[in-house]
Amino acid sequence: MFGSARSKLKAWIAGGIGTFAALAVGGALGMFDSLQKPVVMLEPGQPVETGPWEVRPLRAYTVDKGVYGLPLKAGEKALVFEAEMTNRTALSSKDYFTTFKSTGGTDDKPYIVLVRDSSMSPALQPGLPERMAYVWGLPAGATPPERFVLAVNGEIYKKRDNLYGVPGWYNEHVIGTVAIPVGAGPDTPDIRP
Amino acid sequence: MIQRIANIAVLLLAALLCYGMQTTKPHYADLTAPIPVYGKIGETIQARTFDIAVDKVVFARTLKFDRFGQKKLLTTGGIWAIVTARLDARDRSAMVAAATWQGPDGLNYRASERTSLAAGALPVALDPGVAGRTRLVFEILPSQAADALLLVSGKLAGPLDSEARVALGAVALQADGVPEGTIETYELSDAF
Repeated sequence: MFGSARSKLKAWIAGGIGTFAALAVGGALGMFDSLQKPVVMLEPGQPVETGPWEVRPLRAYTVDKGVYGLPLKAGEKALVFEAEMTNRTALSSKDYFTTFKSTGGTDDKPYIVLVRDSSMSPALQPGLPERMAYVWGLPAGATPPERFVLAVNGEIYKKRDNLYGVPGWYNEHVIGTVAIPVGAGPDTPDIRP
Repeated sequence: MIQRIANIAVLLLAALLCYGMQTTKPHYADLTAPIPVYGKIGETIQARTFDIAVDKVVFARTLKFDRFGQKKLLTTGGIWAIVTARLDARDRSAMVAAATWQGPDGLNYRASERTSLAAGALPVALDPGVAGRTRLVFEILPSQAADALLLVSGKLAGPLDSEARVALGAVALQADGVPEGTIETYELSDAF
């Protein structure tokens, strides 16, 4: 009888240790996750590898007239950001909608245009660099910032995702931010590295 | 003692077996991949829902294109590859919706969306007995022009459906890297 009670106690203790170990590991991982990582500042004009793309932020400017075939009503303003983007993957892709994110002061989602012929968000071809324009609308009455701060997002390649086991680019994360001076019109020159 | 060692050995063996099965079994993406039907340029290739015969491939530096009555000259950082092909439905109406230019380095170029309004662009609806045609336009790196494979299928993502794979053959390159016979401007006219 005492023998069985002792083995029960042993089992309880072993189980308890396992639970506490799991809780401790989970807590520690969560703590490391929530640690503020230092923000990486990226230089405009320098190439940045985001995983599926190699991007080179080139210039930013405000417009009060339509740009690249995008109409703009009288009194409205838009913030245009241009970058050279190269598809590093082996397949035509338009996975660039969240590569650059505005950190505030603009509308949430940009229109994305191929500068070459003003087509709206076409797929970019592997190995062919293209200049793309991200156009954010500015809220009514907002003054455009002197420096436009953008978050540059990257993704990692997984041979198999957890749901379908197919290869792809997942786990979007911020690589760094780039602060780019905002010019006054479409004649703003590119930033030279 | 011996039993304990035997237990551990069985456990290790089981772990090894599981690992072996995990690494050798085909992946879901491979199991449900499209089923290739191979052929050459000029041949008629029979996919499950359509037949395709590639007529010719033309390379061009620019494209002339009439978009909503507005003349446009489409430029590219690489070169344009224009493939014309005959299509026929088999025994029922069918769609052909996806085409990919696969270069010798394994780079996959989907039919360009910049010319998706031109005549003959995908998707093409086919009916039995009515001859169909398509003109596929790709924007490729010049180095991917030779020994390319054209992949044509009924759907953009077609698991377990057949996919025509047409070998487009050797292409000689000029000194400046573009294929021989590359024309300056190809006009995307309504008749092709």
